[in-house]
Amino acid sequence: MRLRLIIQQMEFIGVQSLPIIMLSSAFTGAVFTLQSYQAFHMFSAESLVGGTVAVALTRELGPTLTGLLVAGRAGSAMAAEIGAMRVSEQIDALDAMGVDPINYLVKPRLIASIVMTPVLTAVFDLVGVLGSYTVAMGPLGMSYPAFMTNLKDWVDPYDINSGLFKALIFGVIIGAVSCYKGFYTKGGAVGVGKATTSSVVVSSVAILVSNFFIAYFLPAEA
Amino acid sequence: MSGADEVIDPVTGAPAAIRYVNVVKTFGKQTVLDGLNLIIPRGKITVIIGRSGTGKSVTIKHVMGLLRPDKGQIWVGKDELTRMKDRDLRKVRTRFGIVFQDAALFDSMTVFENIAFPLVEHENLPYAKVKQKVEALIAQVGLHGANDKVPSQLSGGMRKRVGLARALVRDPEYILYDEPTTGLDPILTAAMDKLIRDTQDARPTLTSVIISHDMHAVLDIADKIAMMFEGKVAHEGSPEYFKKSMDPLVRQFLAGSLDGPMKV
Ligand SMILES: Nc1ncnc2c1ncn2[C@@H]1O[C@H](COP(=O)(O)OP(=O)(O)OP(=O)(O)O)[C@@H](O)[C@H]1O
Ligand SMILES: [Mg+2]
Repeated sequence: MRLRLIIQQMEFIGVQSLPIIMLSSAFTGAVFTLQSYQAFHMFSAESLVGGTVAVALTRELGPTLTGLLVAGRAGSAMAAEIGAMRVSEQIDALDAMGVDPINYLVKPRLIASIVMTPVLTAVFDLVGVLGSYTVAMGPLGMSYPAFMTNLKDWVDPYDINSGLFKALIFGVIIGAVSCYKGFYTKGGAVGVGKATTSSVVVSSVAILVSNFFIAYFLPAEA
Repeated sequence: MSGADEVIDPVTGAPAAIRYVNVVKTFGKQTVLDGLNLIIPRGKITVIIGRSGTGKSVTIKHVMGLLRPDKGQIWVGKDELTRMKDRDLRKVRTRFGIVFQDAALFDSMTVFENIAFPLVEHENLPYAKVKQKVEALIAQVGLHGANDKVPSQLSGGMRKRVGLARALVRDPEYILYDEPTTGLDPILTAAMDKLIRDTQDARPTLTSVIISHDMHAVLDIADKIAMMFEGKVAHEGSPEYFKKSMDPLVRQFLAGSLDGPMKV
């Protein structure tokens, strides 16, 4: 196992994606809270806000948005890097030196993407709820118990786990699609551009479509 | 049919290191190699010349098993490549060094790391030993002080020299150069040619194969020249043979003339 390469990719996909994941999730949680508060306010049911936001984040928004963000940021970079290595004969050079390019380039990226997408999703969930909490406590002036009671009752481990399971599948999609597109790049710089674009388009669509099927086949409750 | 070594190359009198026997390679409808027969003599410099697109690069990619022929045999020493499994081919490849047409350096690595890469991948050497070997080669190809530069900071000539150092770092039996001087200025071209000749002369057991368009250098540094045309070796011989030849194909190519059997 090429541990060093795997760690390097985990650093790239995981650690370096943290800022964009945290920023996106904080604002997603915040805006969702704002909107749902206005709706629940009409029925004087403001205390449902915390639970609603948290369930939506852990089950759907967390994994899906994280998947789309990772595909856009890390997937595109992987396709571009491997694609550039293909067209400049660096992959041939690996082969020529008796180094298997699949082991050297593809496997570490695939493993890192499968591990890090769920980790980033967990971060997304957590920071998203914090964003929601901040808006609820601050501008909306909710009380701590009003926000938390429903949240604690509604979110169970199964919600979180099913979200993380989705994220794992999305990690497989991102790693496989980006590496495949990069590895079979043809036609110089233009080809690298095409491979990059199509890796993002194909993984994003695959994430959204597979998300439906996973939701359809996964039971709603444990 | 047995190994390559038992056959003597008629041009140089040296034993064959590599032999192509009736090799055919087609891509889709295009037949690139059409019954290629070629002997690469051991311990010599063989230069392959021919028009762009005649299959020179394809020819040397076959000898490393980067491409597989449709028909024919390819012998490297005692090994016949066409019947080998991928895993065994990988082992054969480690006996080769190759200098790619555009250097193909890893752009995520420094000069030092690029050259050290094959050693780190295949040999379990202490770092001090790796450093010593790599720095000796850096000096040999004249790249003092470039250790920590990355490929994007190097000129074309420097990259090719890094490529050469990387190809030599594990003391290969065979070294393949794909157009080592294309794109270099005349001074750097002469320096690269000298480097290739010196590399060969310092290693009597090394077998060099060069693809080149640079006729001046070809006649200067080759021990044997093979000229490809329409998927076969059309002419082979010593530089003297090529200088004297009255064959219209050879004359046209050497003169770089538009009139003759080769059409643009
Ligand atoms: N992997 C491939 N797939 C399809 N066709 C190929 C492939 N590799 C080479 N060819 C075709 O084979 C022919 C010979 O290519 P090759 O690269 O060997 O030419 P060359 O003699 O090295 O030319 P140059 O001097 O321009 O480098 C070309 O027409 C090329 O299009
Ligand atoms: Mg070529």
